[in-house]
Amino acid sequence: MLQRFLDPATLASISGLDLVAKTVVDGFVAGLHRSPYFGFSQEFAEYRAYSEGDDLRHVDWNVFARTDRCYLKRYRGETNSQLLVMLDTSASMSYGSHEVHKMDYARFVAASLVYMGSQQRDAAGLIVFDEDVVNYVAPSTRQGQLFRLLHAIEEAKVGTKTDIAKPFIHFQNFLHRRGIAVVISDFYEDPDVVVRTIEPLRYKGNEVILFHILDPQEIHPKFREPVLLVDLEEPAQSLEVSPEYAKNEYRVKINAHIEALSSKARGAGLDYFLMDTARPLDEGLREYLSVRKGIL
Amino acid sequence: MGFLTPWFLAGAVAVGLPIWLHLLRKHKTTPLPFASLKFFEKRTQSSIKHRKLRYLVLFALRTALILLLVLAFAHPYMQQQLLPMQRSGVVTVVAIDNSLSMRASDYLAQAKQMAKSVISGLVPGQRGQVLAFGARVQAMSEVTDDHSSLNAAVDSIEASDTRTSFAELSRSLRSIANSLHLPLTAHIYSDMQASGMPANFNDLRLNADVKLATHPLVKSAPANFTVENVVAPRRVYDAKKQRVLATIAGYNSPKSTKKVTLELNGREVESKSAEVSANGRASVEFFSMDVPYGRNQGEVRIDGGDALPADDVFYFSVERSDPRPALFVQEPGTNASLLYFKAALEASGQSAFALEPATADQLANVSPSRYSFVVLSDIGALPASFENALKEYVRGGGNVLITLGHAASGRARVPVADLPIAGASYTGGEGERFQSATSLDPSYPSIQKDNHWEDVKFYRAIRVQPLQARVVGRLGDQMPLLLDVQLGDGHVLVFSSTFDNIDNDFPLHASFVPFVEQTARYLGRLDQGPPSVQVGSFSELRDSKEKGAAVDVMDPKGERVLSLEEATKAQNVQFTMAGFYDIRRPNGRNELVAVNSDRRESDLTPATPDSLQLWQNTASGTSDGGGGSAETQKPLSLWWYVMIAVLLLALAESLLGNRHLSVDKEAA
Repeated sequence: MLQRFLDPATLASISGLDLVAKTVVDGFVAGLHRSPYFGFSQEFAEYRAYSEGDDLRHVDWNVFARTDRCYLKRYRGETNSQLLVMLDTSASMSYGSHEVHKMDYARFVAASLVYMGSQQRDAAGLIVFDEDVVNYVAPSTRQGQLFRLLHAIEEAKVGTKTDIAKPFIHFQNFLHRRGIAVVISDFYEDPDVVVRTIEPLRYKGNEVILFHILDPQEIHPKFREPVLLVDLEEPAQSLEVSPEYAKNEYRVKINAHIEALSSKARGAGLDYFLMDTARPLDEGLREYLSVRKGIL
Repeated sequence: MGFLTPWFLAGAVAVGLPIWLHLLRKHKTTPLPFASLKFFEKRTQSSIKHRKLRYLVLFALRTALILLLVLAFAHPYMQQQLLPMQRSGVVTVVAIDNSLSMRASDYLAQAKQMAKSVISGLVPGQRGQVLAFGARVQAMSEVTDDHSSLNAAVDSIEASDTRTSFAELSRSLRSIANSLHLPLTAHIYSDMQASGMPANFNDLRLNADVKLATHPLVKSAPANFTVENVVAPRRVYDAKKQRVLATIAGYNSPKSTKKVTLELNGREVESKSAEVSANGRASVEFFSMDVPYGRNQGEVRIDGGDALPADDVFYFSVERSDPRPALFVQEPGTNASLLYFKAALEASGQSAFALEPATADQLANVSPSRYSFVVLSDIGALPASFENALKEYVRGGGNVLITLGHAASGRARVPVADLPIAGASYTGGEGERFQSATSLDPSYPSIQKDNHWEDVKFYRAIRVQPLQARVVGRLGDQMPLLLDVQLGDGHVLVFSSTFDNIDNDFPLHASFVPFVEQTARYLGRLDQGPPSVQVGSFSELRDSKEKGAAVDVMDPKGERVLSLEEATKAQNVQFTMAGFYDIRRPNGRNELVAVNSDRRESDLTPATPDSLQLWQNTASGTSDGGGGSAETQKPLSLWWYVMIAVLLLALAESLLGNRHLSVDKEAA
């Protein structure tokens, strides 16, 4: 049942990205709590004095009983970190062979990440880009940051063509603190270029996760008859393709691209995760949490 | 090439379906947005061409399949040239007529000579068969290429006394052609009698692969006289001279006077002259035949000198024996019934029975078994022992006639038959004074000759309940008048009135005499039989009780007809030659059977040439007597070849289509 709420098709029926994010994260978290293998880190870190408005569930009542003072327990993971989500909105991200397009899926992932980050009091931020930076929400833990982020994600529209190099030059300027940088894109670019472009983020002590968003038809295309394909980023470019080619040669190429990107990314110290838009989101979130755990 | 059902070619329009599917219906090239064409290369176009080419192959297969199916339905054929002239494997059949008419002149010898010349004309290795035909066809040889055996078969043919049947010959030729599956050339040597032609011309039809050559031996009909028929008694019981009536016939003959001679046991009895008109008949009566005791051979002859002497004599047999006794039982003091019964018997000329009267009190030591039949005339009381003996007699095959009158009215039941008596029926002064017989069964032997009893007046009758008895006649009030009760192998005939001219006036009517004669004949099992039978007819040799007993049959030549095994098993025998057959039956009763040939053979008029030509035309080819056939064409059906091609194409189409389908399935 929990899996159902992480199913992209189910999420697509939920109106409101905030609700989507909440559904995903709460469901994911609930699944984590039930699992003996996964879970938030509950390791005690320190006490903090109670401030008005804090959640009373975290009050250490034993201390209160002994000292008549309210102190909140603080655990590992609650330590503030920075999360920067970089969302690709190039034209190729608008492709979809089922009811959930890549763009929608990317939004779900981005929203879920910033929601989870805000839950953990991380300073979450967002960069929307295509061939250039389209929108930027600076990481912050201020009140309303989550809504700003979700709104920005929701407002992200499909842009132009992909040019990962140009926006990432500007990313350097946005990263002021160590944290986690999550790049959500379909990475239709040469793997060397991608890694070379993103790798510098790593040098600043950030953990970088590449979420490679692809539609199932992009991974395993199936055509009944010859089709005339039109490039979403360059509409003037079209090509008639036979089912046999799509079944054979294309799959070889796409698999080689994915493999190259994965190996080069890992080789450069970047985390890589391929996300099929037909599959539930929890796998990507689990990947994020494992990385976060590693840096904290 | 042609088509047996060419209108099916219109189905070729169905080829438009694969044309539309593969060529006219263009591939959908609706633009489909895709994320990136980065991993697609230009050489995909060549794969499109390759795919199209493969589809074209599928299209070609489907088109060819549809066209071949249409072709199969149109049933194509090709004219096949048949080899002309020599028909390989042709069998020559030589059929020689050996019926009675072939005894005329030297017809049979001529036929044999001509048949042998045909056999000598056969090339070595060419097969033939010899047949002899009359009423039946006899294979004188097997189908063989041994010409000497064929000649021997021809030599072995003898003249017979049978009549001609060309229908039987045609049937045999059809049968031979069907069994051999080879072309036949049939040569028929016969006088081609018109009387041998069947009534239904269809019986003469021959197979398509039979060539017929007729060789008439007679061009014009010769004159012939014959003793056509003789009427004579089969059995006589007294020494009276018997009447014999002979009919003399002439065919294609001028007016002539013929001497007709009656012979008995080889001795001439009487001769008379008969004036026979041209192509006419004459009757001759003989009244002086004195028949001695026993079996006698009679013959009526005419003087010869015509074309066919074999039919100038007519055989008949006549047997003389003593009259068989019949017991007539009556009440003492009554004589009227006996007198009327006996007078009627004598008036009918029936001398086979001698009535022996007896009264009821004289029956103590009388055994009914020695009598042909027994009459109980209005008997009141019957000794029980005699009644029992009568019942046994009837069960054993004897027959009894019982009349009922005043004496019987006091009885509760009819003796021997055990039918209940309900009383007497009298006609009184008030109402009708007499009754009449209103319904009579004309099939009953006693009534067959004369069933007109309308004028007979019945004043009194005994009311008998019929129970299971067969009611042969009834009076006006539906009271049974004549009943037949079967007891075992015998019958009891019950007449509900008397023969004494008191209870009725039946003895005064003309119908009384045939009634008495037929009743006596029926009761006495008197089987007169004809004085002669025809060649080809059969005679029963035994009944069910004589199974396993030996029967001896001697033919006119004095030779035994049946083998040892047949003598104990044969149920009947066929008479194959004219003359006298001596049959010695298991019950000791010997019989002399006179057999004569069918007098239709006496008419030597040949069949018309038109009839013979029509007969020849029922077979294929000409009547040139064995020459080669002209070059002919035979349609050769191509249907099987087309269907094999359809099968192969369907196989190829399904294999190729399946390959494409696997890609489509995966795409789906």
